[in-house]
Amino acid sequence: MPEPLVSVTHLTKTYESDGNEVQAVRDVSFSMEAGEFLAIVGPSGSGKTTLLAMLGGLLTPSSGSIIVAGREISTLPPRARAGYRRTTVGFIFQQLNLFPYLTARENVLLMRAIGACGPDATRQADQLLAELGLKERANTQVSRLSGGERQRVAIARALMNDPAIVLADEPTSNLDSVRGAQVVRMLIDECKARNKLTVMVTHDREMADMADRILEMHDGHLTGVLAGSAAG
Amino acid sequence: MLSLIEISRRRLQFGLIASIFALIAYLILMINGLGAGLNELAGSALLNMDADAIAYSENAGLSVIRSELSQAMVDAVGPATGARATAPLAYVAATYRLEGKQPDSVALLGYDPGTIAEPPVTAGRALTAADTRGALADKTFLDQTGLKIGVTVTVNQRLEQVQLTIVGEIDEGAFFFQPAVYILRPTLLDLKYGATDPASRPVASIVLVQGPERSGVLGEIEVVDKQTAFANIEGVSGQSATVRSLQVFGFLIGTMVIGVFFYVLTLQKEGQIGMLKAVGASNRYVMQQLLLQVGTIAVLGMLVAIPLAVLTERSLKSGSAVVPVSLSAELIAVTTVLLLVTSIVGALFSMRKVLAVDPIIALGRQQ
Repeated sequence: MPEPLVSVTHLTKTYESDGNEVQAVRDVSFSMEAGEFLAIVGPSGSGKTTLLAMLGGLLTPSSGSIIVAGREISTLPPRARAGYRRTTVGFIFQQLNLFPYLTARENVLLMRAIGACGPDATRQADQLLAELGLKERANTQVSRLSGGERQRVAIARALMNDPAIVLADEPTSNLDSVRGAQVVRMLIDECKARNKLTVMVTHDREMADMADRILEMHDGHLTGVLAGSAAG
Repeated sequence: MLSLIEISRRRLQFGLIASIFALIAYLILMINGLGAGLNELAGSALLNMDADAIAYSENAGLSVIRSELSQAMVDAVGPATGARATAPLAYVAATYRLEGKQPDSVALLGYDPGTIAEPPVTAGRALTAADTRGALADKTFLDQTGLKIGVTVTVNQRLEQVQLTIVGEIDEGAFFFQPAVYILRPTLLDLKYGATDPASRPVASIVLVQGPERSGVLGEIEVVDKQTAFANIEGVSGQSATVRSLQVFGFLIGTMVIGVFFYVLTLQKEGQIGMLKAVGASNRYVMQQLLLQVGTIAVLGMLVAIPLAVLTERSLKSGSAVVPVSLSAELIAVTTVLLLVTSIVGALFSMRKVLAVDPIIALGRQQ
């Protein structure tokens, strides 16, 4: 049995809202391996995005532990967490958060500007864009790209810093089911080819079924772990 | 550079922002220029005199109008101050009237050719001792009145009248808010004192002093440096205070608008900043981009504002109406540096906001 890349133990996140405590994630424990593609599903408010944000070092847990490659990240100070996000995590946000005035290539190379890539970044960016079918669109401003093309730019950006973990928050929410499935397939292929651990939050069961494993969440609890179609 | 690419790609938006900056900078430059112009009108001729200090009669209270010096007092200035050179200068306000126009006044300054009081001639020729009816007129005065070298003008002082022919052009500015016109000192004294006995009348209003070793009250004379003399011109101190207040208020309001403007610009970038921080960008990187963008906008704005202000200055000076405005290179440089610094400081005010941006907003604040 290989050593898990990520171990989550008794993870809890409690928010203060109008004087009331709201437990967004309650005592969640699981582990993940490199190269695995994991989907987290659940209704709105089930805590899946909060869990993703904690895995990505965007939120600090109220209690519990997250160990990534042998390193406890839940207690990292802000600057170290920024470093963790820059070097270890690739993000695909729900709203993509691309810079509309930059070209596809410039959006991807933004990771170099923030110091997340090595000297070979330009070649790496061109290769990623080519693999994702964006070679001809690399110098087109993102505002002129289609929804599917933008999703692929976001995937390329997430892989630019050669992260150990790729976190995708509802990456297909703005696409129809056919294009959404194509994008997820592309994401799986790219991540598997690079042996990246990928965690995708989605409310779409069809998309989730493409994963190796599916974690079901409800009211902050991990209510089930299912095998996806990619498993085994 | 992300911030520079953004400016180049969103030209309309940033063009508008730079335009607003340029308009504010233009306003501040013009307020400063008009203030400086008004001060120059008060007595730029005095500031342009080739002297380090001015000697008055001790009882004049540093007033050129009240100061009257006898020959003995003029002769005493050199030994009393230990000056390198001295020269008497007489002043009187006179009126002239051009055909079809209202009477107007000029500042007649009487000097002796060959002394340090002689102004440099920029066109035409200098006065000689024989030019008892000759005059050197200020360039701006000639431009505004349309008078030319060779033209004769009738000048009145009380009941005295004299025909003066303009033989040369000078660039000395104004004295007591009137254009400076230099004539020979004996001619001026005749005009000022009329048919009085030359032996009993004053010979000068002030004495120009170069390199004095001593100043202050020295017997019957009082010697002060040129800036003090300028500040003591009647009305200048009050006017200077008003002008300074206008400049300070204009600058404060302008810089506050610019500061707030850049702060709002930062607030609008919260989403972008959140995304950059989410993917691991350091606060330093974010601030660098913000400062670079603000600095670039400010420089672009100044590049528009400065030529615009200089063109306005030229236009105002070339018009027939007298609008005192003066945009010196020093004034432009100081205003530019202050505005650029203010812009950067305005952006730095938003640093706290930038540091406080939570990267979680890149995830749409979902919980």
